[in-house]
Amino acid sequence: MSSLSAGNIAKGMYILFKGQPFLVTRADFMAPGKGSAIMRVRFKNVDTGAVQDFTYKTSETVETVDVDKKEMQFLYLDGEEVVFMDPRSFEQVSLPKAFFEDKIGFLTAEGKYIVLWNDDKPIGVIFPKNVTLTVTEAQDAVAGNRVNAPKKQVVVETGATVFAPLFVKTGDRIVIDVETGEYLSRAN
Amino acid sequence: MRNKLLARETVIDAIRSYLKSQGMREVFTPVLVPIPSIEPNLDVFETTLTTSKGASHRAFLTMSPEYAIKKILSGGVGSVFEITRAFRNNEEVSATHNPEFTMLEWYRVEADYTHIMRDFEQLFISVVSAVNPDVDLAKWVYQDETYNLSTPWPRWSVAEAFYTSCGINADTLLDEKDLLAAAKQKGYTVEETTTWEEIFYQLIFNEIEPAMKKTGQPVFLYDYPASQASLSRKKADDPRFAERFEVFLAGMELGNCFSELLDETEQRARFEADYKARQEAGKTLYPLDEDLLLALKSGLPTVSGIAVGVDRLVMLATNAATIAETLFFPAAELFDQKG
Repeated sequence: MSSLSAGNIAKGMYILFKGQPFLVTRADFMAPGKGSAIMRVRFKNVDTGAVQDFTYKTSETVETVDVDKKEMQFLYLDGEEVVFMDPRSFEQVSLPKAFFEDKIGFLTAEGKYIVLWNDDKPIGVIFPKNVTLTVTEAQDAVAGNRVNAPKKQVVVETGATVFAPLFVKTGDRIVIDVETGEYLSRAN
Repeated sequence: MRNKLLARETVIDAIRSYLKSQGMREVFTPVLVPIPSIEPNLDVFETTLTTSKGASHRAFLTMSPEYAIKKILSGGVGSVFEITRAFRNNEEVSATHNPEFTMLEWYRVEADYTHIMRDFEQLFISVVSAVNPDVDLAKWVYQDETYNLSTPWPRWSVAEAFYTSCGINADTLLDEKDLLAAAKQKGYTVEETTTWEEIFYQLIFNEIEPAMKKTGQPVFLYDYPASQASLSRKKADDPRFAERFEVFLAGMELGNCFSELLDETEQRARFEADYKARQEAGKTLYPLDEDLLLALKSGLPTVSGIAVGVDRLVMLATNAATIAETLFFPAAELFDQKG
């Protein structure tokens, strides 16, 4: 296990907090006018998906979590769990749904993802930057409404909703930025 | 009003109108100065002022107009305010920070920090109501959370807050060894180099700030330990604490107020301590502002003043999640360092 100074904590890192592994989702360095510099961190417990805020002294030492990577296939959603499978050993693992936040709608059937492991425990999933999905519901564009509504909401095969340009129709394949959830282009 | 970019004008009009209604005069002080304020933790922008004849001077962008305003106050102009640009270098551009920002300071003579608390309540309500004329002050909404802005807002002394939120009493709070031991017991990392000040602020952010947020109201946190007095004067009846407050709302610090220190000798000692702190931290050094010390010596009226980040007021009044949303040209975009 390695360590770093809290002033160097950055988004995307896995760190230990009170003995438990957390994924950093936000890290703000702050030097208040009066008082010591601090590091305000928002992180997610990798076991429960619960989000928490904590403020570190920039000088304190923080332990990082050792992370191994393994490519796995998304199988299905099971209540509050998301199930993946190792295509070589057929071994299955579940991750709490809370961990995926609004990205859950971008998991594609049989898609391959990098699952992150700490010892024998899955602690996270890396998504590709973009995902291509089929539009299953899109209202026809209303003529003359372009100024106020240059975009409309469409539903894709996974049930996720995305703002897309007016010309997007049911059956189109569209490319979406997983991080922001924004429409990028039409596939084909 | 829905336009987050144009609302700034309304906010600034409301500020001016409230402060002028209180008989305060608006003053204008330089942003480019030979000696900026001594803030132990802040990094200053430095440049060089040159003349066509080849003379050159060190020049700095101000981090606050405080010193200049105090020199004006010593001239006996009465209560004043200023809305100006302030600059801080080497900070992360974040939701609540932009390296160039708009600072409001006002100074009320013959007043102490309790007057400024009442001013702040009224000023904040004027700003919110100017931007949203049909606002319900008892159910004001910011970022999906509802707050009650009805006055008076809760006032918590630092000692009281440490006791109720952390179970730490005033004697423990003020003793370095005891405070560090108490923090360690609560699970905080206490290393050999850990200082009282680090733990003090870490407890404020982790224990007291969430408790303040839970009240669903803005909170004035007042009477800081004397070591954190900065430019405030010590309490006459308990010199372990100083007459300073900060006001918090929605997890944000909105203003920092002092019953201003008037004693030149004590001010010089604090300047020297701050200078030493800057030196130890490897920060840019510049001389003490002797003109300010002279102004104190010649006599400042009894006065209390506050510094308020106007950008945060705009954010709150327009329900913006970040300062960047309220700026035509946020620094993160100008300098292309998004995220």
